[in-house]
Formats: sequence, C-alpha cells, structure tokens
Amino acid sequence: MEKLFISRDSLKKLLDRLARNLNLVAPVKDPEGIIMFGPVADAGQVLLEYQNSTLPPKSFFFPQTERLFKFSYGQEGMALEDMCGSDKRVLFGVHPCDLKSILSLDPVFAGAYKDPYYINKRENSAIIGLACSNPSPGCFCATFGFGPDDGEGSDIMLTPSGKGFDADVLTDKGQEIVASYKDLFEKAGDSPRIAGETRLTVKKLDLTGIKELLDGNFELEYWNQVFEKCLGCGICTYVCPTCHCFDIYDSSKGGCDGERYRSWDSCMFTHFTMMAGGHNPRPSKKERVRNRFMHKLKYHIDRYGLAGCVGCGRCVKSCPVNIDIRRIISDLGEVSRNGQL
Amino acid sequence: MREIARDLLESGQVNLVIGYGRGTGILRTTPVFIRKPSDAGQLVYNPLCGNNLVKYLLDQRNKEGRAAVCVKGCDSRAVNRLIQDRQIDREKVYIIGLPCGGILDPDRVEGAVDPGEEIKETVISGEGYDLITAAGKYSFTMAGAGSEKCSTCQNHNPVVYDVMAGDPSDTPDIKDDGFDDVRKIEEMTVEQKSAYWDRQFSRCLRCYACRNSCTACSCRECVFDQVNTGWVSRSSNLSENTAFHLIRAFHVAGRCVDCGECERVCPVGIPLRVLNRKILMDLKDLFNTATPGLTPDGERVLGQFSADDPEEFM
Amino acid sequence: MGNCKCDNPYLPYPATIKEVIDETVDVKSFQMVFDDPEVMESFKQQPGQVAQISIFGVGEATISITSSPTRKGILEFSVKKVGQLTAALHDLGPGSRVGVRGPYGNHFPYEIMKGRDLLFVGGGIGLAPLRSLIDFVLAGENRKEFGKVEIIYGARSVDDLCFKYDILDNWPKYDNTDVYVTIDRADMAWQGHVGFVPSYLEEVKPSPLNKYAITCGPPIMIKFVLQALNKMGFQDGQIITTLEMKMKCGIGKCGRCNIGSKFVCLDGPVFTLSQLKELPPEF
Repeated sequence: MEKLFISRDSLKKLLDRLARNLNLVAPVKDPEGIIMFGPVADAGQVLLEYQNSTLPPKSFFFPQTERLFKFSYGQEGMALEDMCGSDKRVLFGVHPCDLKSILSLDPVFAGAYKDPYYINKRENSAIIGLACSNPSPGCFCATFGFGPDDGEGSDIMLTPSGKGFDADVLTDKGQEIVASYKDLFEKAGDSPRIAGETRLTVKKLDLTGIKELLDGNFELEYWNQVFEKCLGCGICTYVCPTCHCFDIYDSSKGGCDGERYRSWDSCMFTHFTMMAGGHNPRPSKKERVRNRFMHKLKYHIDRYGLAGCVGCGRCVKSCPVNIDIRRIISDLGEVSRNGQL
Repeated sequence: MREIARDLLESGQVNLVIGYGRGTGILRTTPVFIRKPSDAGQLVYNPLCGNNLVKYLLDQRNKEGRAAVCVKGCDSRAVNRLIQDRQIDREKVYIIGLPCGGILDPDRVEGAVDPGEEIKETVISGEGYDLITAAGKYSFTMAGAGSEKCSTCQNHNPVVYDVMAGDPSDTPDIKDDGFDDVRKIEEMTVEQKSAYWDRQFSRCLRCYACRNSCTACSCRECVFDQVNTGWVSRSSNLSENTAFHLIRAFHVAGRCVDCGECERVCPVGIPLRVLNRKILMDLKDLFNTATPGLTPDGERVLGQFSADDPEEFM
Repeated sequence: MGNCKCDNPYLPYPATIKEVIDETVDVKSFQMVFDDPEVMESFKQQPGQVAQISIFGVGEATISITSSPTRKGILEFSVKKVGQLTAALHDLGPGSRVGVRGPYGNHFPYEIMKGRDLLFVGGGIGLAPLRSLIDFVLAGENRKEFGKVEIIYGARSVDDLCFKYDILDNWPKYDNTDVYVTIDRADMAWQGHVGFVPSYLEEVKPSPLNKYAITCGPPIMIKFVLQALNKMGFQDGQIITTLEMKMKCGIGKCGRCNIGSKFVCLDGPVFTLSQLKELPPEF
C-alpha cells in the first residue's frame, strides 16, 4: 500500500479530469437540499464533507430498474440481446459504511451463478473512499467493527489531513488512477488524520448474545411489540445499502418484441412472497418485519459470514414510524440477557 | 391523556389505545399500541408527534372491540372522512382529541439539539416551544422550526372527538388559506413547472410510503399493486413515477384531508402536499367546498349525486 | 451499455413446445425441446430439479421438471393453471416459442436411496416433481438398483388425477411396484379407494424398514402425511419432501424464497424432514 497526499486544490483538479476522461459519480446536493450520488460534470458540485446521502451508492452497481435483455421473435426463431455491459466509472466520496456494504453485496451477486450485470459494473468501477468527518446522529458503524475512517473496499482511501487529504492507495485499480494523474499527488506528510477523532463519536452498540438469541428463537414475543406500527412501505429496504431483493418482469407493447427488466423489490411488501395460487408464507406485517431484521442480524451472517447491516443510519432517519434498528438491537440484547424486555 | 387512556382501558370502554410513545432520541416519537392500563404511562405528547395515527384504524376495521386513537386537529379530519366512507364505524372508535399549537419539523430542529437527549417537558412559549431536557432548555419558534404545513393550519383543535386531553389550543386557526405554495408553482412557466416536477419525480423510489401512510388510501388492493394488469409497471423511471403520483393525487381528490403525511414520510423530499393542495384549491374554487373531513356529515364533492346539478358541460 | 458475450444465467434458452397433454381440467403437461440441439444435449437435470419457463412478454415462473433425465431429447413440465404465467402457458399449443433456463436447485438424493425400498406419497399436482424420480428409478437398468416401490397417490376427484396413463397403466406393470390410488369423495365412475391420502397411507401401512418416503402435495396434505409417517415409525431422516416458494431469479439473488438462512432455489427444493425441522416454520 502506498501512502500519498493530495491537496484540496489538486483534488479539485483530479475530479475535474476524472469527470472529463471517465464517468465520475460523486455525492452532490440537489436544489431541494437532498444529497445523492450522481453523475458529475465538474468538481465544484462535489461534496467533500457530507452526512450520509439519502440513498447509498449501491444503485451504481445494482440500479433500481435495470434492463436485462431484449427479446424478439423473428424469422429464424427467438433472438435475445443481452444488456449486461458496463462503462468505466469512478465512484468518488464513498463513506466507510457504504464501502462495507458493497463488500456485503459482493458475495450475493457472486457464487455459483455469477450475476453479470452487477459484476461487470463492479469490475468497471474504481472507488475512491472518503473518511467520514461528520457522522450523523443515526450512525452506528462502530457496532460492526469498523469506523468512519476505514478504507476497506475502496481502491483509494482519502482521509482529511492538514490542508488536504491523505490518500492510501489500496489496490491495483487505485494505483492505475494515481499513475494517470501523478502530478497531483505528493508524498504523505505527518499531519495527523482528522478522522481519528470522529471514530470516538460514533455509537457502538452491543451485539453480544443477539445472533445466538436469533439462532435459537424464531418465535419471540418481542416481535409482537414491533410490527404493529409498521406501515408496510419500502423505505427501509430501498434506502438500505445491503438490501438486494428484486423482481423480474417483462415489458412488451404486444407484437413480437419486448424487454425483460429487474427492479428493486421489498420484503416489506405484501406481494413479495405471495404465490400464484394465493398462499403467502409471510402473510402479515409481523412475519415481514421479523424477516427483515432476521435477515440483517442473522441470515446474511449465516449465509455469507458478513454483517447484513453496516450502521449507516439511513433507515433510522427515514422510517416514518421510528422503527429503529438501533433500538431493535438494544432490545434484543436485553431479551437475550433477561428473557424479556 | 395518560389518565384518559388508563380509565378507558380499565373500564373496558376500549381494548386498545393508539397514541404516541417516546421515540429514539429527542427528534422522534413513535406510534404505540396500549392494551394494558398499566402501560398508559408510555404515552407522550409533544411538538414532535407528527404522525397521523388515524391510518391504523384501518387495521382495526375487522377486529373485535373498540379502539381509541389520539388525534391532532389535522388528523381528526381523517376520522370524519373514514366514517363518511364507511371505512370505520363511529361506534367502534373512541377519539382522544389533542390540542396542537403546531408541530416542529425534525429536520429543522436537528442541528440545534443533542439528538441523544430526551424531552422532559414541553412549554408553550410565545410563538413556539421550549423543550426542557436534562441538559437544559431549547427554544424554537414555529416560524423558525415549525412544520411547513402548520403555517396554514385551520384546525389547531380536533373537529371531532369524544374527549379532549387538556385545554384547547388558543393558537388562531387560519381562515383564509391563500394557497401560496400552490400559487408559487402556478406562476412558473410550463417549462419551469415541467423541469421542477421532473426533478422531483425522478427522485421517487416508489417505496409507497406516501400511499401507505395516507388515510385516504383505504383500498384493499391498490391499483399500483396490480402489476399483472399492466396498468402500471414496476419500473421506476420518470414516466412511471410521474404517472404514479398524478394517478394517486387524482385518486385522493376530494378525500385528501391535507394532513401532510405523504410529504412528511417521503424519504427523498418530494413536495407531495402541494400536488394535493392544487386539487384542494380547485375544489374550493369550483364547488365552494370545505376541506374534506371538516364536519362529520360534510359534503363529498366527488362522491355524491345531486339532481339539481347544472351539468353545464352536457 | 452494449452486447456482452459473458455467461449470463438470466438468459433463457429458446425452446419450442412439441406436445401438450391435457391431464385434468386445470393441469396440462408440456413437452419442450430446446431450439439449439447442443443446449438440449448439455441440459443435464437431476430428478427433483426445477427450471424457469419464460413466455416472453408475460414473464417467468419456476416449474419442476417432471420428466426423468433418463428420457432423452425432451423436457416435460406439468403445470396447474393458477397465476398469470401458467394461464398464459395453458393458452399455448404445439409450435409455440418459450424460453427455459436451469436446471436449478438440489435433487432427490437417489444416490443414498440405492438398495432401499421407496414409498412415494403424492396429492394432486404434487405428483409432478415425484414423477421425475419415479420414472428415473423404474427406467431400464436403474430398476435393479432400488428395492420395492410403493406409490400412494390421491386427488379430489377422478377428473383431478394427473398422469392417469402412468398411475393406472404404466407403473403397476413394473416388477415389485405397487400403486395405490384414492380420491377424496365417492364417484359413480370410480371403483377404487375413496378417502384422503394421509388416511389411505395409514390403511396401506407400509413398513418403515429400509425405506425412504418421498412426499409432495398441497401443504395441508403434507402436514398430515408427515404426521402419519412419523406415527408409523418413519424417522425424520427417512422422510423427504420438496417445497414450493415464490421465486424470481432461481439463482439465489432476488431474495424472496428464503426460509431462514436457506434459499429454496439453491438449497432446496428437496429437504429431509430433519432438515426442515431445523428451519423456521414458515413453509
């Protein structure tokens, strides 16, 4: 790993050049004040310090709506046109929680059946991480064993330091970027990294006993105290950086051709598990709410050995009825210790 | 409010009280469902109780017994609307009215408080509130930190209730809503309007929180869930999202009580309320009607037939 | 974006319906052949596996492959008309174009069944997945590798019995193979047994010795069959069933067919009862 430094001025130049030469995606604020990752034309728009974007950057690997292929019936039978290609892209300014979430999604789309749509975008993207110097009140990343300055998952990790940013070059992809814009980087100095202090301000919740509790107990009286206020909307799953459920459907104007798409779907929706014959194995809000938290705190760990939650705080902020995963975690901890709340 | 709830449960008049409980941190409250008199102490009421709890009465539609629900002025209009639509039975609900001097917008309060604190007491002070916490006092004015919708509030007290919890609010109701928010958009050129709404709707996630929180959305199966019929696609893109919001606005026309929940819950800040208020403004202009739900037997502009309708368009 | 030549598991292989057999008023069997003979050759399913059938413009559905891998050159799917895709499929006839991808999921563990007796208990369309294994076990040289085969099958009425040609004609002709058929309610046209499958199972009372029981049917039937088998002395590890969950991708990505940490599309659909009892009771 190479440790470099980039001044604020040079970073602006880097972003301008990346925007010109490649597709640059970075956090920007729209006129309504909403922070989103989006394509960027010039460095002036890019936020160098921000609290987590309303949506995570996962949509640049796994878009909300994605065309899978086109189909057409012709003289020579059925023709399919695959749409899984991807352009080169640089994703700038990704916070450590979002970096971790991408690592949590990777094994879902890998495995015995590789998902070419995700993987192509992943391979064609370089990620420049940005340490989080102003975590929001809902943030609790420390719970999952990392902090606001962890670079794992990025190709280059930037951490505020002195009059610019320390740049840790972590991968070959990162090295390639540095090599292309050598003039902008200098050797790292010894100014202290500012994000070291923010690490201390992020909440760390106690996960002790929760996984074991959920391993042994599918039915818990506790869920009865949580589900009733749920409105059954999809906010928590759509703002979540690790949720990956989707629906597949066709779009055709009739005639001989059309397209197959996939779109995000949500386990909080009634129809999610409804079978064609009408049977629904998760018929009420109770089963659906339980499934979501079991997925975050147990199933994802069972399946991939990785946390299903990264503590980004987005669902905490956006849930309209204050179903707060931090409270769920502390309540489940209490249940595991005392058998009840 | 706690005493009322305890008495109602103890006497068996209701078997459920739907109210507000302490949320996580100072900025949030959360809906609570109280079934035991001894749990009535969980109820709280402060200027961060934004949710319209009337929606939950729809979950109780087919259940045994009577449920009590806590309502602010704006929420109470929804009770009347649901009764008018025969969605709920007046006999099966008990309405605990809450006086309201306006709700604070958590986003506008956020920067000024330590989010980890708890509100110990709320004091109405001048044109706003003092929130008293262990650490001290935070003062907010409605003008500086109030919810946008409260600036045009026409019912600081519930329009229907069985009992009031506390003295009625003496904050003056706004009698002549100028619909300034709607007019501001109407003043835009067609191109500006189009660009404005395109920007809003392209952010939409189709999470359906606006629909699921809306008391006017009482359909058993929503048209947007009937994906197999081809009415609407699951694709989230500007055109489908625009169709979703416009269809929804028309579906709730004449039934929307202007409680502002759709806008409050939207995770991407789409100004949904102004869409509904455009229709509300036109209904008022065209039919000289009151805001839906204002009275128990109020007229339903788009839901009733009158033999002396002039039918000018025929 | 462009045309990519990678190996894409979401792309179905074009196939053509060759023949349609009316099984009951709402069940049809579709025999399909891939348009590309190489795909036909390389599509190697195991008994109990499923495939995704596409009708382009309508969508996709997960359907169990009912034909045995010993039957070459053709894939057969028996489909009950219950939803949008299956209704559209029922409207198709020979020559219609569809798409097929798969095979997906695990299969019946026939390797460990070798040398043992087999008891099949099916109800209604639930016989479709079992049929892939029954035909596999009875086919040619395979028959010698397995012991006695007992098949107990029932449906609501005579008209609802699927695969009548197999249950009434073909299967009883095999050596050491007994077929017991029942219908729920008496019918003038029916000389055979009348009664529900679980109670008929208790009447037939097959011995649990050196035997695997494989069952599939409506959820309520499975529930009582499992209880009856346990009562007759079958251990959980001897009882095998195959589950249905709503699926979209079939390859463990789309997230909806999970039962606990398991995805039915990857880790199932075939489970032993002891495996099922480890999972949350959501099926």
